[in-house]
Amino acid sequence: MKRGSKTRAALVTLLMLLPGLACFLGLFFYPMMVTVVRSLRPEGAHTGWTLGHYTTFISEPRARDVIFLTFVLSISATLCSIVFSVILCLVLRRKPRGHRFFRLAMLIPRVVPGLIGALGLLLLFGSRGWVNLALIQFVPWITEPVRINYTIGGLILFYTWLYFPFTSVTTLSTLESLDPAIEEAADVSGANRWQVLRHVVIPLIMPGILAGSVLTFMAAFGAFSIPLIAGGNYRPLSVEIFRQIDFTPTRWSAASARAMIMAGLQVVFLTIYMRILRRPSR
Amino acid sequence: MFDSMIELRGVTKRYGEIVANDRIDLSIRRGELMTLLGPSGCGKTTALRCITGHIIPNEGEVWIDGHDVTGVPTHKRELGMVFQNFALFPHMTVFDNVGFPLMIRRTEKLKRRERVMEALHLIRMEGYEQHYPRQLSGGQQQRVGLARALVYRPKVLLLDEPLSNLDAKLREEMRFEIRELIDRLGITAVYVTHDQAEALALSDRVSVMNAGRIEQVGTPNEIYERPESRFVADFIGLSDFIQAQVTAVDSEGGTALLAAGGLEIRVPAAREMEMGQNLLLFTRPNDVELLPASHEDGINVFSGVVDKMTYLGDRNDYRVMIGDGLALRVQTDGKTRYNEGERVRLHLPVALCRVVFE
Amino acid sequence: MNSLRQYLKAFSSARKLLLYTFLLCFGLMIFLPFLMIALKSIGRGWFGRLWLPPELTLDWYRWAVEVTNIPEITKNTLIIATMAVTMSTLIGIPTGWAFGRRRIPGKELLMSMILLPRMIPPIAYALGVAQIFYRLNLVNTHFGVALAHVAICAPYAILVLSATFEGLDERVMEASAVCGASPVRTFFHVILPLILPGILSSMIFTFTTSYNEFTLTLMTYGKDTITLPVRTYIALGEGYWEVTSAMSIILVIPSLLVLFVIQRQVAPEKLVGGFKGV
Repeated sequence: MKRGSKTRAALVTLLMLLPGLACFLGLFFYPMMVTVVRSLRPEGAHTGWTLGHYTTFISEPRARDVIFLTFVLSISATLCSIVFSVILCLVLRRKPRGHRFFRLAMLIPRVVPGLIGALGLLLLFGSRGWVNLALIQFVPWITEPVRINYTIGGLILFYTWLYFPFTSVTTLSTLESLDPAIEEAADVSGANRWQVLRHVVIPLIMPGILAGSVLTFMAAFGAFSIPLIAGGNYRPLSVEIFRQIDFTPTRWSAASARAMIMAGLQVVFLTIYMRILRRPSR
Repeated sequence: MFDSMIELRGVTKRYGEIVANDRIDLSIRRGELMTLLGPSGCGKTTALRCITGHIIPNEGEVWIDGHDVTGVPTHKRELGMVFQNFALFPHMTVFDNVGFPLMIRRTEKLKRRERVMEALHLIRMEGYEQHYPRQLSGGQQQRVGLARALVYRPKVLLLDEPLSNLDAKLREEMRFEIRELIDRLGITAVYVTHDQAEALALSDRVSVMNAGRIEQVGTPNEIYERPESRFVADFIGLSDFIQAQVTAVDSEGGTALLAAGGLEIRVPAAREMEMGQNLLLFTRPNDVELLPASHEDGINVFSGVVDKMTYLGDRNDYRVMIGDGLALRVQTDGKTRYNEGERVRLHLPVALCRVVFE
Repeated sequence: MNSLRQYLKAFSSARKLLLYTFLLCFGLMIFLPFLMIALKSIGRGWFGRLWLPPELTLDWYRWAVEVTNIPEITKNTLIIATMAVTMSTLIGIPTGWAFGRRRIPGKELLMSMILLPRMIPPIAYALGVAQIFYRLNLVNTHFGVALAHVAICAPYAILVLSATFEGLDERVMEASAVCGASPVRTFFHVILPLILPGILSSMIFTFTTSYNEFTLTLMTYGKDTITLPVRTYIALGEGYWEVTSAMSIILVIPSLLVLFVIQRQVAPEKLVGGFKGV
């Protein structure tokens, strides 16, 4: 009787999991498989295999530029996010006036479509935007608008704006879960503020920072709407994929190959993320 | 001033409406172990943190070794501190934890190693240098905390309920170790606890605190034998309180008569006693003698009935009714046993009756 | 030594100033883009070196409504979002229940797998989705786009709902039975009120996710199923920044509203970040 009810229970569980599994398989796994297959087929054909799309892409000097660009953008944005998040979180944890408001503000880039964020940033940093107006007005040696939009620096800034919340949210929560007595112990032992930060606080929140930064990196790596709108002549991998579709006739296979390269790289980083999460906390 | 290592002068700390420390005046002598004792919320931890500098008082001054340190930040005060939850750096080995203060002071590597090993030897944990805090037991962690606090030879050691997170048996062992260590190093120590047994066992002097104020400062003996307020009498040890009125004072004989519940009780005379004054008679349940009903009369011998009896193994705890509705708690050894409802006699030895003015 | 105390107070004031300046700049960085969009959407003749638009007008909104047919587009967006929410919730409830309350070997791994579409930016698999939809003739149908959205909405619904169901204390249900309630009554009077907040929360987040979704929609839309984000993108491409701004404002208002309303009840950090306890 026991075995029967055990199998019954397992069956019920499986049944309940079915919708989720079906969704995963049908809307993610199968499409990915389609993309894989597509990437290995000659353009427009439904039979035959070829590695042509991969080799063409990789051998293009442009390809290396594109991948290099994607990495530069993601890594820079991640580093900027880390620096900014650490400062922001150290400030916020002392609960200054209005800190609740700023904690909320920290989430805003994540609840609006990247598109809108990009638009707003383009307006703000444009040659007629407030930033340039302020610079011309208040900084004596600046008389012409500074080009920020459509530059690499500007793009990195936009990326950071959109993706820093991933880092700051985990950093803040790690920071706040730190036992205050530990910092006091460092204090009493003779360490001044900077020394406490350097030797005690930062090492202890590093796991949190890293966990968030990998998310930032992955999101920045796959960023699409921002470079689409604000990338100008800079086209990272995601936009490259899209451009293949814009051709007529649509270059599905070429796009698929690029998508697979991108997905492959992302899987690598996902593995790193899982590794970090699994590291036992001290 | 020369004798005192630490002085709190009129230290007051407010949090909005709440006054955590109310004009605290305290002087801690060189080389002594002073305990701040009191219930939760009495302000003892606040006072300690005023000494460390983690709290800046609203009013008053903090003096350490003859210097006004009220405005000096914590990391410059050269104090050692041991925490309730050990507060070891989880990402550092025992060696690095203990060596941390020396690293901050840029002590040269060889010297640092020497001092750390010395400190580890002091707490009997040589061989644990490469362990991480999570691999240590509570007691071991606390000892490492001690080593870290002492490695740079501070003048003062502060202990914030260091034994509360350890189990009872360990607590007793550690108590002796800490006291021994402090004696050996000749260091001044301030100890915070809510456990009176700890306070009485460890301290040179005890400062009993309540609701932000210091109620009494004295040696453990003074605190226990001659409490100066109801709070102190009640907080330390077990006590019996009887509301009474002074009916006669015999200054020559050194005694006075109190009336309570229709009984006449003789007590040692205190200077401030006046006729007709209302005060609190108090005695310890251990000091009250429980006698059979057949016992002869005498001074401070009263008839009563056992209302409740609780067996505690090594002791019996009684609630005895005497006079006109007066209830006294009495504790005796387990040898003779009186049952509930039994008639008995109570003897309150005159010398062991004390009075407290409300 | 009071001068020392005063010195320290002054120093901390300087530091405080730095702190608040930093926070101010941060706040400005976050909100100014939106302010500019808002002003652009109601300004006329805002060229050259002007801080503010010289004239205010609602023309752009009028244009959005009349010429680009925003109401129709908003309707599309809402229909798609509603479908996505319904499907996600229907998927989320049984699967979430399974994750929250039943024994599953390798539960963590399975959950990570289900959350994969949320972790990996959509462009990678959106391609595959688009191709499948072409084959199945799902392009240009509301259902099609909604289905694409479900790919990223359902994982989130599963996550939230599994946490909700996990939090259901069995003892409450037992107590209800002991008090004499039948399973049906227990469901309606005890279980439902307890899980309703979680279900609502999941629906709200799913809704905003679908509402804001751009990448997947871009791959699967047709002329009848243009959503607000996509239309805004098209307008941007056409160069009509003022109209684009107007559309952006219409697009953004619900999300911001939701954020400000929700932040009191639910930890908004759940909207961000990866998985595992979120």
